[in-house]
Amino acid sequence: MALKSLSRASFFEMTAPISAAGSYANDLQRFWALRLHSKDELIEAGRDLARLDASYALSVQQNGELQAEVERLQALLKMPPLEHFRFEHARVAQRDFSGWWQRMIIRKGSDYGIPVGAPVVYSGGVVGRVSEVHAYTSVVQLTSDPGLRIAAVVDGDTRPISFQGALNQVFGAPRGAIEFVPLDVYASASVPKRLATSGLGGVYPPGLTIGRITHVESSEDGLFKRGEVELDPRLGELTEVTVLVPLDPSS
Amino acid sequence: METPSEGSGSLVESKAGFDPRIVVFYGIVALMLLVLAGGLVYQQLIKGALHHEQERQQNERRVIVPGPRGNIYDREGRLLVGNRPRFAVVLYLDELRPEFRKEYIRIRNNYRNASLQDMPTSGQIERIAHVSVVQRYMDQINEFLGRTGKVDGGGLQRHLERQLLLPYTLIDDLKPEEFARLIEHLPVNSPVQVYTSNTRYYPYGAAAAHALGYVGVNEGADDEEFPGEGLTTLKMKGTIGRDGIEKQFDSILQGEAGYTILRVDPAGYKVNPPIEHRLPVQGKSITTSLDIDLQQAAEEAIGEDRIGAAVVMDVHTGEVLAMASEPAYDLNVFSPRLSVAAAADIEARKAWANTAISGVYSPGSTFKIVVSTAALRSGSITPEETPVDCEGAMMVGNRRFTCDNGEGHHGLVALPAAIAESCDIYFYTVGLRTSADVMADQARRFHLDRPTGIDLPGETHRMLIPDPAWKKKARDEAWTPGDTANMSIGQGDVQVTPMVMACFAASFARDEVSTHPTLIHDAKHRTQESERTGLTAYQRAAILKGMEGCTTEGTAAILTTVEAMRVPGVRIAGKTGTAQITRNGEKYNEAWFICFAPLENPEIAMAVAIEGTTAGEAYGGGRESAPVASAILKKYFAKKRGAGAAQTTPAGPG
Repeated sequence: MALKSLSRASFFEMTAPISAAGSYANDLQRFWALRLHSKDELIEAGRDLARLDASYALSVQQNGELQAEVERLQALLKMPPLEHFRFEHARVAQRDFSGWWQRMIIRKGSDYGIPVGAPVVYSGGVVGRVSEVHAYTSVVQLTSDPGLRIAAVVDGDTRPISFQGALNQVFGAPRGAIEFVPLDVYASASVPKRLATSGLGGVYPPGLTIGRITHVESSEDGLFKRGEVELDPRLGELTEVTVLVPLDPSS
Repeated sequence: METPSEGSGSLVESKAGFDPRIVVFYGIVALMLLVLAGGLVYQQLIKGALHHEQERQQNERRVIVPGPRGNIYDREGRLLVGNRPRFAVVLYLDELRPEFRKEYIRIRNNYRNASLQDMPTSGQIERIAHVSVVQRYMDQINEFLGRTGKVDGGGLQRHLERQLLLPYTLIDDLKPEEFARLIEHLPVNSPVQVYTSNTRYYPYGAAAAHALGYVGVNEGADDEEFPGEGLTTLKMKGTIGRDGIEKQFDSILQGEAGYTILRVDPAGYKVNPPIEHRLPVQGKSITTSLDIDLQQAAEEAIGEDRIGAAVVMDVHTGEVLAMASEPAYDLNVFSPRLSVAAAADIEARKAWANTAISGVYSPGSTFKIVVSTAALRSGSITPEETPVDCEGAMMVGNRRFTCDNGEGHHGLVALPAAIAESCDIYFYTVGLRTSADVMADQARRFHLDRPTGIDLPGETHRMLIPDPAWKKKARDEAWTPGDTANMSIGQGDVQVTPMVMACFAASFARDEVSTHPTLIHDAKHRTQESERTGLTAYQRAAILKGMEGCTTEGTAAILTTVEAMRVPGVRIAGKTGTAQITRNGEKYNEAWFICFAPLENPEIAMAVAIEGTTAGEAYGGGRESAPVASAILKKYFAKKRGAGAAQTTPAGPG
């Protein structure tokens, strides 16, 4: 057993530079591909980027104000501070077709202090959590993987429910499943509801988007509902993610 | 010299010809083969079904899971009783067999290496291994949840012996946060998983506790309803209604149990997948006639510290809008199971009894409406007649009877004023004129002598309308004029329940003699009809005038004179009553108030009865019970006005 683990780990470490090199080559290819665009296109893209940048700057400012308000209220109510994370941005090094919706490899590992179990996010919400850490790379288990569960909440509700990835086809839209949904929760494809992390499970901070609930139905025993969750299709084309590294490892 | 051919006679096979002795041997062999073939045919063809059944019984197990109970709603569709999830951490022991085996070998080797003389037996080592492995998983859960749980070795062993196919519960009734932590920390394929079952949930706590009732644990569904007869069956415990609506409508609320037939290996562990499976189905839901707003108003007005009841009824349909009984108990203490401490607390507060249907009290002066009806119908008085000058006391036989209500010296009063002021002297006189038998007959016409038949368990049969024949039979004593006088003010041996008096108020509001109460709401319920009271319009108007006078200037004038008690724009017909009772040597007063409203077109009727330890007339229906009625009426008419306003709101564009 130990020999098997050692072999597996050694193989991973040996192939890691190849994955990383491939990823860098991919970045270079993209760079040269972009250089083929005309000046007009680049000017237009630059203008869009400037607008986006201004919009983000405004959001950052608003977030700063909200953060200050949160801290003021926390101090007023003598509440303990929210769990803090260090953000570690990492490029996606590799995804293989056999586990497209199950896992991805990122270009940072224990060299950047990434621990096993750390949540991984992107601008659209939760990506998954780190399942393996190697010297220079880490394996991220995706939210679309049936082996990953998250204690979630429906937008506007506080009762925790269970989210779990589903069996997804390689080129299909990623989906997940929810269980233990209270009976008074309704959602449909025409009126979907946002599913977010509850923050109660101890792994993910609260409020991160997981997906949209597009269908709920009563379970046979009538005690709960179960449902389907549509995940963001961008999960299939991620090139960069952020690992939330807990500042206090014991938390 | 012998030739080679001759010499080899013993070596060369030669046909010796037919030997009859061999036939016998052939016969024996053939017979034995025949016996074997016959045995094979017997076992395979004739007894095949039996063997198949035995094999099935040995290799298959049946698990029966009860279905969740149906919900209970109030008349406006608000959930009064539902099911809440109950999360537990369980361990699927059948997945731990390799670990049990490894641990067994490890422990055995440790003992052997230690060369101990008193080495445990194989069975003991096996039990130690079981506890050791399960405790390891428990420690993992403890770490996630910050608990310090320990495995109960005895319980684990019993589970392994009797319920191996069912998951073993490590921690029961998890909090939502604990559930969430385990969801994220437990691997999906771990033998430890979060298991869900259900338990009753009461969003309004103690509201309508006695009417709704509670459930207890039972042994689950009957085996015979499911396929797999003869299989070893494991049943998960179910629930059964023990009181109130939960008990009365248990057959409706009870869910449909599900079952699973599993294949097991020789050690009794499950072999996936199941052979047959049917999921449990939730029971049917019930919509009660209760209005939780009125219910809460009634309970708040009575208060937790008083013993009392209030029954509120729809005059037309007999649907019970509220049935409060105090002291009550929080129904959530029964979920998932009633603790000894909680049971002792309920016992100490004497909160078990549903006073509304099991508390029997003398109705006091509220009975004067019955007496008035009997007297008017029999012609012993007329509405405008003043049969006596109330000077505060009168002699009946050689006993002095006093008038303890109002001013205590009412002078010459006619029926309306006598009802409004609750003049005892007037009613002693009227009762004596009318006779006990006539009053008793009238009370029986109003069904005051029998259970109302409300759809609840535990309604008492101890209500009593006494008369001379009853007294002779029950006590072998003669009826005296004093008994008649007592009866004419609703005291003595007259015994009724708050539910009976609420039905009486509803009946009288419709000018009829009986009302059948129900706790089930149905929009198709029609106005109940029963025999008319037999009063002329003039006679009835006189009684109603007295009842309205009671709430405007009489013994319940508090409903008009005190701003906080007033129900604006509503004319109320009411009657107070105060009965003195002696229980265990202690004197109590029972403060009554019955009423219906609006007077001109009654919709709602009620009876309020509150028990007090205060001696004397300081504790009276007008002071103690009428304010409860006021709170209920205010809530009822406020809701009605709100609903009316909502209905008249013009529809928006489009």
